[in-house]
Amino acid sequence: MPTKIKVAIVGTGNIGTDLLMKVLRSPWLECRLFAGRNLSSPGMMKADHLGVPVSSKSIQAVVERRSELDLVFDATSAEDHVKHARILRDLGLLAIDLTPAKIGKMCVPAVNLEECLQAENVNMVSCGGQASVPIAFAIAQANPEIEYIETVSSIASRSAGPATRINLDEYLGTTEEAIQHFSNCRISKAILNLNPAQPCVHMQTTVFAKIARPNLEKSREQVGAIVKDIQKYVPGYQMILEPMIENGRLAVMVRVEGVGDYLPKYAGNLDIINCAAIAMAEAYAQKRVGNGKAEAKNGFTP
Amino acid sequence: MKSATIVVTDPTLRDGSHACSHQITIEQIQKYATAAEAAKVDYLEVGHGNGLGASSLQVGLSLVPEREMLRTARSCLNKTRLSVHVMPGFATIKREIAGAIDLGVDLFRVGAHCTEADLTQRHLSYVRNVGKEAWGILMMIHMASKDVLLEEAKKMQSYGAQGIVLMDSAGASFPSDVTEKIGALARGLDVPVGFHAHNNLGLSIANSIAALEAGARIVDGTARGFGAGAGNAPLELLVAAMHRLGYKFNADLYKILDSGELAAELFAENLPISNAVTIVSGLAGVFSGFAKPVIRAAKQMHVDPRDIFFELGKRKVVGGQEDIILEVASELARKNSSKNS
Amino acid sequence: MTSRIDLVRQDAEAVVAKGFAPLQPLANSHLFISGGTGFLGTWLLELLAVLNTKQQFNTQVTVFSRFPQKFVERFPHLGQRKEFHFIEGDIRYLTELPRETDYIIHAAALTDRRLFASNPTMVGEVNAFGAIRILRAANLLDHLKKFVLVSSGLVYGPQSMDIERIDENYTSGIACDHANAIYAESKRFAEAMATSFVSESKLPLVTVRPFAFVGPYQSLELPWAVTDFIRDCLTGCPLKIMGDGSTVRSLMYASDYAFWVLAALAQGKSRSAYNIGSPEPINLLSLAKMIGQHFTPTPEMVTRVGQSGHEATRLVPNVEKAKAELGVSVTVPLPEAIQKTITWNIAK
Repeated sequence: MPTKIKVAIVGTGNIGTDLLMKVLRSPWLECRLFAGRNLSSPGMMKADHLGVPVSSKSIQAVVERRSELDLVFDATSAEDHVKHARILRDLGLLAIDLTPAKIGKMCVPAVNLEECLQAENVNMVSCGGQASVPIAFAIAQANPEIEYIETVSSIASRSAGPATRINLDEYLGTTEEAIQHFSNCRISKAILNLNPAQPCVHMQTTVFAKIARPNLEKSREQVGAIVKDIQKYVPGYQMILEPMIENGRLAVMVRVEGVGDYLPKYAGNLDIINCAAIAMAEAYAQKRVGNGKAEAKNGFTP
Repeated sequence: MKSATIVVTDPTLRDGSHACSHQITIEQIQKYATAAEAAKVDYLEVGHGNGLGASSLQVGLSLVPEREMLRTARSCLNKTRLSVHVMPGFATIKREIAGAIDLGVDLFRVGAHCTEADLTQRHLSYVRNVGKEAWGILMMIHMASKDVLLEEAKKMQSYGAQGIVLMDSAGASFPSDVTEKIGALARGLDVPVGFHAHNNLGLSIANSIAALEAGARIVDGTARGFGAGAGNAPLELLVAAMHRLGYKFNADLYKILDSGELAAELFAENLPISNAVTIVSGLAGVFSGFAKPVIRAAKQMHVDPRDIFFELGKRKVVGGQEDIILEVASELARKNSSKNS
Repeated sequence: MTSRIDLVRQDAEAVVAKGFAPLQPLANSHLFISGGTGFLGTWLLELLAVLNTKQQFNTQVTVFSRFPQKFVERFPHLGQRKEFHFIEGDIRYLTELPRETDYIIHAAALTDRRLFASNPTMVGEVNAFGAIRILRAANLLDHLKKFVLVSSGLVYGPQSMDIERIDENYTSGIACDHANAIYAESKRFAEAMATSFVSESKLPLVTVRPFAFVGPYQSLELPWAVTDFIRDCLTGCPLKIMGDGSTVRSLMYASDYAFWVLAALAQGKSRSAYNIGSPEPINLLSLAKMIGQHFTPTPEMVTRVGQSGHEATRLVPNVEKAKAELGVSVTVPLPEAIQKTITWNIAK
């Protein structure tokens, strides 16, 4: 049994609580602190029932318990993370940022996990980013002359709360930036559709690429391989349309069904960020503990 | 009721983008915008079918870059105001809206799927804060009850929308639906209410009249119906109907008829018609703009486009989800091939 | 003499037999009832037991209550049923709902008028926070089909004497700043909160506004006119009427109440509110007589027991909307309802 590293989760809303459930299942991580502002929030009460140490002092609790911790997940808000990032850096604690603050290094495990292990602050980009960046990366690897990449995500309306909606523009910008960064393609575009259909739809993402002379076979190879990699840390990730050429564009479609740890299964868009964050944390744990390519149950081996 | 002047909005050069796979040319813009100005249309809407920033692989790339389309139209208009369609999720404030404001756009019609009005909060507020006119658009209105539409419209009103237009994007509504929904908004809102028809079930004019009779004070029409699917309410017929029914409006009847003739020439290759595909699109309640991409996918994958539409309707896809067409078409192709093997 | 359990079961079977088709959507589903061991809750379980036994509905029910143990001991015919699962908890601290929940009836609230007088702050807390908690939890469910919020006919404010029956669009002013206001205000708040969840995340909400009821399982300690009268008769005391007996109410039998609530769950239109109660008005003097006639010797009736100038009031719902949209009707007329209730109270 590998030694677990000790983590704290700051931010006890739905995302933080779902993350907690994943940490509890992880053979590499132990939750030493679940901190927020409201002890009577559903997440806090659930954590408490499960025997996880809780605190309503938010980041202050992390400061107080620094010696017990190895890394901190931040699932609060962009505004709060700006404050927290400084504190965590001063404490020398790895910050895994699930907010849109984007202060640190963008992390998409299937693409750049190894690099991220050196960073002091990593951010999980966005849901569309986690779903599409690996695909964009794979296509770019197979087609160095790639001119333009576009990603379109459809999510269930119910999975997008008021915070997501008011920050829609920022989400699009972040996702585009990530696509450009990871695929080295200069021009990109992100689109988001909300669908209110009942029963709720699962997250679905399409990546389109404009390539003068696309290599379809190589694209299929690379995309197929990276999808398998993603599935190691996002079990509900599925390619539903393998790379094809239609109307002069290369198209790939994936669907993400959430695990349902705490968030509903249709919220695959929220789940994928949490899964990616866990993958990052577990890789860091493995490095710290020095176990190399150990066989963690849900771990994604870097 | 007939004392109010009806505002005529003409999205020929925007909805029409769908009709020609977004290949509207500079020349078409110049000629039509000039005619619209002469015809005293209140607002002329220009741009990609899905609005600012929508030129994409998802929906189709515009022939002419957005900035040029708007600049060209702006230079042809004087009294007629320039309008754009904006869909949060495609367009952003920083990239598209700010640019359009610099180019002299007068009116921003910010739209969302009929249950998602809160997506438009920041965009509507931004436009109002810089002193431009902003309306809210609710799309695919056949998918929501009048109570939901009123609630969503009120949200947009609270964000600063100065008018709310209900778009029957799938052309799936019947006059009684329109009467009920427009009526509810006309009674429940402070700002004027408008209607934008599609002709998939042949009801664009009947629906537009029902809207006016129910209290709409804004109405959309395109020249020769040049728009997505089976087209919109043809502007010439709309104005003729308003003329006969005694509504007050600024547009000049003769000049509107002239611009209709001009449109017939200008857009000759893509004038909307009613056919098997557009009818099924209306029946299935799918966004009218899907017609061309569906036909294309159907052809490539050897499936019946009508089957694609009914399947899309079952999945309740919304505007902007053109990528789902690929999935559905592929799945149908797979099913067919396994049936035949 | 028929036992209490059998009397109630006969009533439940009777109302189900009259036509359970509207309830069909509840078959093979998972229902969560908060406050499921109260007056309404108990009757809901009686009806669901009949639907499961007689009509193979296979409806699983999770009952959330403060005192499930007591309930299971007192009513083993319900408590021991395999398809009823009991959870103990305080609705103020509810955090999660069973993931398989398809339907919710939120009936957990403090409704005892004596408590409004002695502990109004708790009434406010339980009714308001409870609603927020369960609505939030409902929002995380994978496949919730309908949420019935049990509100109250008191949200309308006092009924004007010259209106015969109040419908779902009625409203009169209620002052919110006196101690007695807490119940109606907490129920109004619950409705406003539920409406907000609908606006933000399109929760499939149906609101029911119950008026006044009578039947087995209703505690005779409660300070309603009907329970006062029955208790007075059973204890051999004279029937005391506060005013001149011209106050008008209506009373629905408990089996109809529970059936109508289930129908609202199965058939109610999202975003709609439904009055639940009897539309047949009766003044208190007549009600007292109707109850008294079941006893020999006929109990004495005393009027004007309260302060002089005690104003007559009226509270009678218009239930046409429920009848039209839910496929329900009043199956137990008031005289029968009174007779059944008295029989049950006398039985063992």
